[in-house]
Amino acid sequence: MPMSSSESAAALKRTVIIAIFAAVAVVLSIVEAQIPLVGMGLMPGAKLGFANIMVLTCIYFLRGRDAFVLVILKTLLTAFLLGTFSSLLFSLFGSILSFVVMFLLVRLGGKKFSLIGISIAGGLAHNAGQLLAAAMVFDSMSILYYLPVLLITGLVTGIAVGFAVRYLVASLSKISLFEEFLD
Amino acid sequence: MKRADVLLISIVLVAALAFLAPRWFSGNDDKGGPGQNLVANVTVDGELFRTIQLTKEEQTIEIRTDRGYNLLKVHDYGIEMYEADCPDEVCLGFGHITRPKQTIVCLPHRVLVEIASSAGEDEVDAYVQ
Repeated sequence: MPMSSSESAAALKRTVIIAIFAAVAVVLSIVEAQIPLVGMGLMPGAKLGFANIMVLTCIYFLRGRDAFVLVILKTLLTAFLLGTFSSLLFSLFGSILSFVVMFLLVRLGGKKFSLIGISIAGGLAHNAGQLLAAAMVFDSMSILYYLPVLLITGLVTGIAVGFAVRYLVASLSKISLFEEFLD
Repeated sequence: MKRADVLLISIVLVAALAFLAPRWFSGNDDKGGPGQNLVANVTVDGELFRTIQLTKEEQTIEIRTDRGYNLLKVHDYGIEMYEADCPDEVCLGFGHITRPKQTIVCLPHRVLVEIASSAGEDEVDAYVQ
């Protein structure tokens, strides 16, 4: 069935938005990889999760499948660029779990949570997902030693990401490209 | 922020503190050091590679697998990842660990180092000489 011109225009806009968001998410991942978190006494392997800003904003404006494409794109591109292919499986597991949690909270959670609460839940899901994947690969629960520390760092970065998303959504809503995706 | 947000934050904080509190109050018997007889269990890909007594004297343990190379160093009743050729080098960031249940993980090489007390553990019961 051929698409009407307004449908194809919307599809094109979605594609453009996903591409821009993926590019920004990858840049954010590269920037945060340069920050020496270990030197600040944090757990090795912990990330700030800035890329989550783009994922959550995408869930807010576009459909679930668009955000899912963004998550996959961003994870693959980051692995290519940073050369962390051997831990791709763990990143994917964490990102997808985080996406699912945030998507369900946005769509089904009603208006109970603000963007900040959703971002916290997403950050925690990301950390928990990676840790669980690691525990499964090693067949050992001893890695869960780091769970409490990751809960607290996930909380702090989740709040920061949530505030960023709130400002980003407010600013993007004023741009005409995003107007028709507001509901 | 809404009420549900605040609730979520408090639940997570309480859960994290509930996990952490026993570690703070466990006192000295949980600390490493002389007379503790700690061992480090090194597993590669889920299989036990070696169990090492944590001594004050320096020992180095080399792990070479298809995935890559890791060099562990035991000293001052603890163990640390000294060298690794993994891409992320996250394992080097764990530093020198000395307490039971602490771990060093090298995800790309599937190497897991875990400290346990040698007494009463399932791996090694006693050393007979």
